[in-house]
Amino acid sequence: MKTLSLALRNLLRNRRRSLATLLALAIGAMALLLFGGYITNIRYSMQTAYVRSGGHLQIQHPDFFLYGSGNPTAYRIADYGRLLDIIAKDPVMMPMVTVATPTLQFLGIAGNYGQGVSRTVIGMGYVAADIKRMRQWNEFQIGLESPAFRLDGAAEDAAVVGTGVARVLMLCEPLGVPNCPRPVAEPKVAGAALPPDIAALAADSPQDNPAAKQSGVARLELLASNGRSSPNVAALSILAAESQGFKELDEALVILQLSQAQKLVYGRAVPSATSIMVQLAHSAQIPAATHRLKELFLKAAPSQALTVLDFESLNPFYVQSIKLFDTIFTFIFVLIAGIVLFTVSNTMNAAVVERTVEIGTLRAVGLRRAGIRRLFVTEGFLLGCVGAVCGAISALAIAAVINRLGLTWLPPGSSEPLPLILRVWGEWSMCVGTTLGLIGIAVVSAWFPAYRAAQLNIVESLRHV
Amino acid sequence: MDAVKVPVLRGIDLLIRPGLFTVMLGPSGSGKTTLLNLIACIDQPDAGDVTVAGTQINRLTDDELADFRADNIGFVFQNFNLISVLTAYENIEYPLVLAGYAPAERQRRVTKLLAAVGLSDRANNLPGQLSGGQRQRVAIARALVRKPKLVIADEPTANLDSRTGAAILSLMRTMQSRYKISFIFSSHDRSLIQGADDLIVLRDGVVQSIQRKSTVDGDELAGAAATEPQDWR
Repeated sequence: MKTLSLALRNLLRNRRRSLATLLALAIGAMALLLFGGYITNIRYSMQTAYVRSGGHLQIQHPDFFLYGSGNPTAYRIADYGRLLDIIAKDPVMMPMVTVATPTLQFLGIAGNYGQGVSRTVIGMGYVAADIKRMRQWNEFQIGLESPAFRLDGAAEDAAVVGTGVARVLMLCEPLGVPNCPRPVAEPKVAGAALPPDIAALAADSPQDNPAAKQSGVARLELLASNGRSSPNVAALSILAAESQGFKELDEALVILQLSQAQKLVYGRAVPSATSIMVQLAHSAQIPAATHRLKELFLKAAPSQALTVLDFESLNPFYVQSIKLFDTIFTFIFVLIAGIVLFTVSNTMNAAVVERTVEIGTLRAVGLRRAGIRRLFVTEGFLLGCVGAVCGAISALAIAAVINRLGLTWLPPGSSEPLPLILRVWGEWSMCVGTTLGLIGIAVVSAWFPAYRAAQLNIVESLRHV
Repeated sequence: MDAVKVPVLRGIDLLIRPGLFTVMLGPSGSGKTTLLNLIACIDQPDAGDVTVAGTQINRLTDDELADFRADNIGFVFQNFNLISVLTAYENIEYPLVLAGYAPAERQRRVTKLLAAVGLSDRANNLPGQLSGGQRQRVAIARALVRKPKLVIADEPTANLDSRTGAAILSLMRTMQSRYKISFIFSSHDRSLIQGADDLIVLRDGVVQSIQRKSTVDGDELAGAAATEPQDWR
């Protein structure tokens, strides 16, 4: 009979106590894995949302991320077409890239002058067909499809706004935005009090035009400064309002066709972009793709200052959210580890007291101190193994049941409720890590009682009653 | 308040002759168990030397002592001290497992000893399923399985009725004769000393008398405390 066999029999000797210890271990492992599965799903959901909207990587002027929104002309990528061509033809990038597309980001003022309302907005110019493809990215099989990109196939003056923009600019009614309250006191149109140029815009406003009202078309005027710091105005037909998740973004975002945005910002100058978004087939390819892009641009465009930023650098909220959940997970792990530590330690201490005479007998017949230590540590190891594995199996089963219930939840930064998925199955590093971690804690918990047992005096142990 | 040290044994100078059945007799508190513990290498004297089978045990490390006990000493305890989760067969086998014997050799020895102590039919019983006498038989078999030089039996019949105790004593005597192993047997019951080769009487921590069978070959009785030789049978 080996140490393992003897340890197993000793555990079975006091089944109720062993079972209680195993339950504590199993519940601990299960709780950890279920929570781990939950935050894994959050991470995947958030990552999917960010990658769908902004790609994995963005190629920009090195200062654009910090300063560029105020001056898209100064931080533009003039020859973005050539860079896109380099990416498309590179044999290393080719298998990794699903979409590479230019964007133009700028600040402007959007107004519904017929209603006498306006606000500062962030304008985003996109190539609609590319964005449509980007929205189909779903590496982690998130159970929610992105809404169809309404600008795809639409006219050049078409635009999509955040629901907050629609609300603030009084466009909810023509756009049919649900749950869009109107203010108690309607703002008065200043009419003659308006500056002459704005008054002219108001006069042209289709909201004031009975024909337009009848057709239900929502329009707004978007003002931006061009490269020569003079204002430019674009009249846009608003196709739809899309929730952007965050109130701040929802009340500021206007999405338009890239060509329209370029006309607005650059006028008759060479049309440029502020970023090139690169979406990869897999997130794990980010380091390789970043490295390759830097290599390519160093060779092909050495005179142009460019940087490659990944979606984590571009979206600090994502990183902060993941860090928050990781901290919570660590905190819970420490709590559960403490419970496991004390439970296993208590069980092993009780076993040492109960088996003091047996320890003395084993030592008398020639078992070394190390043999006694090994015996009790093996018992802790077995408790850890059985408890953690049972917990992992339970977590897999419970997660499977919950995943089939069709529950939903609204994650931070999302406008749509997501299916509540606990990603335990397939997350093998998490499963193995948690299981091994708890087994390790069980072994450590058993070590001190084992050491105490090994240090017992043989004569006193044999006298123990 | 300082603890007062009470010496359990004083001035012991004793030679246990090998290959004999030695009985250590004395009332409770006379120091029998302490002396046995010293001989069994599970206790150390505060002063003086203990030599067992030619090895001065005071100088051995803890691991060396464990190995020495495993190789040279068998134990029979008053409370049997069998491992409750192991069967009779496994209890006897355990010292062989510790020593790394091959399974076939283990089986040969255990089977033989089970037959010798009359428990072949109880091999797969746990200690809890055996009577007191049967448990002590298993303990005797376990003590003998590695063919030790010395078997220490501390009041092995104290928890048995007189009939069973006599049977156990007889078994030990038989085993000692058959395997030529030194047995040291302690008791406070004078009625159980029949068949002993040597008798050591202890009282208040000192050897009161050593009475030996005069016909043993190679008899080398040495000991300052050896007084009053007499025919005690």
